[in-house]
Amino acid sequence: MPNIKYSPLHSLHVKNKAKFIEFGGWTMPFSYKGTIKEHQFVRQNSGYFDVSHMGRLLIDKAYLQKISSLICSDLIELKSGKALYSIFTNEKGSALDDVIFWKYDDYILLICNAANTDKITNYLQTEEIIFQDLTEKTALVAVQGPEAISNLKALLPIPDSFSCLSNDIYTYARTGYTGEDGLEIMVNVEDLDELISFLLQNEIEPCGLGARDTLRLEAALPLYGFELTEDISPVEAGLKWTLSNKNKYRGSDVINEQIRTGHHKVLKKFSIDSRNIARTGTKVKAGNINGIVTSGNFSPILQKSIGFVLLESQPDTDLLEFEIRGKFIEGNILKKRFLS
Amino acid sequence: MLMVDFQQLNLDRRKMTEKKYLETHEWYSLTENTITIGISDYAQGELGDIVFVTMPEVGQEFSKGDSMVEVEATKTVAEAYAPMDCVVVEINSSLDSEPEIINSDPCGEGWMVKAEVKNLDDSGMLYQEYENFIS
Repeated sequence: MPNIKYSPLHSLHVKNKAKFIEFGGWTMPFSYKGTIKEHQFVRQNSGYFDVSHMGRLLIDKAYLQKISSLICSDLIELKSGKALYSIFTNEKGSALDDVIFWKYDDYILLICNAANTDKITNYLQTEEIIFQDLTEKTALVAVQGPEAISNLKALLPIPDSFSCLSNDIYTYARTGYTGEDGLEIMVNVEDLDELISFLLQNEIEPCGLGARDTLRLEAALPLYGFELTEDISPVEAGLKWTLSNKNKYRGSDVINEQIRTGHHKVLKKFSIDSRNIARTGTKVKAGNINGIVTSGNFSPILQKSIGFVLLESQPDTDLLEFEIRGKFIEGNILKKRFLS
Repeated sequence: MLMVDFQQLNLDRRKMTEKKYLETHEWYSLTENTITIGISDYAQGELGDIVFVTMPEVGQEFSKGDSMVEVEATKTVAEAYAPMDCVVVEINSSLDSEPEIINSDPCGEGWMVKAEVKNLDDSGMLYQEYENFIS
């Protein structure tokens, strides 16, 4: 087991009395005042998340074509100054990782999942794509919430939604993983002080990975390792909208075949009209189709249990039956978003 | 100025210290032949936000070590085990709608079950021992 890594903001988290959790090889804050309080704060005001555990790789634009042949979205036609969510696919059309690209004039910043940073760096090396790993030289902080942008105006020029900017100190984009507006801000470790005092002065509350998980679930955003894995394709995960790459890319023939035939697993959102949580791994039946819960938790906004279920094939009913520790609990497939 | 309510602090402290604790982080208090059962302040802190509790039924019988209550938190699910052989006589139904009481007052209003003792086994740890156990 390699050494556990600590964020450059670790001492701040200790001062803020964080409860810590190990995640993707890093010790990161799980919560401060409580997951639900932090969740509500992000939905109503603005909070910050230390996401320095996520991999940050700087890639020269010369490798654009090569990267493009490994992902399912169109990175080539994407304008400079734009952010893009995409998926590295394998030969089976399944997900190696889901990532964010920030495209600038001369380079691309690739942000990958902490648990997959080694996998992605090795992969890029095998593909002879040269990159600079900025993960341990920088911090990444996500400020999210309806008040986030009005707060951040005092610190930075604000880009449009899903766009990115940079200056001498900050490289940042108007992206996030909570369903709220906000910025994700990368800064060199030696330049962190200004950002930290800004967060403190503006009373932007620290939030942990616990709230990040309940927020992203309520926003119906997938988490790698759960909704996307090396056995789940973007089509199966309900992410057809990411398939903007018109050229051939790794696994594209399998993906196109899945779209053509419709024969594939399907990921569905569900809710249960109680607080009974159907956790990851819970067995589910939709009629005679079997499935398994990929993520499930309590929704602090809806005050009931929600989640994602991966079914073997398209069901002909919206009724679900969950087997939660020997008891059978009914739930429903949800076609609309969790939050209106 | 920060006002400290010493009376409240003492009360909170007494709530914790007059109980006995199990290694699985339940507390129980014994009055005549009835035990009241809950989970410790340490346990609620480790679990984080509690959102759902599955209670046993009144009249249900348990042997020492049986799973009695399921406690769902946003982080994980945990079970509370019977501290001795007993039969449930009352459940804290206010936890149905407000399970978060367990977070705010685990050793008081957040009690879970009252049960009639069938086989007395008062071998739980005193608070001091339990404090050493969790530290």
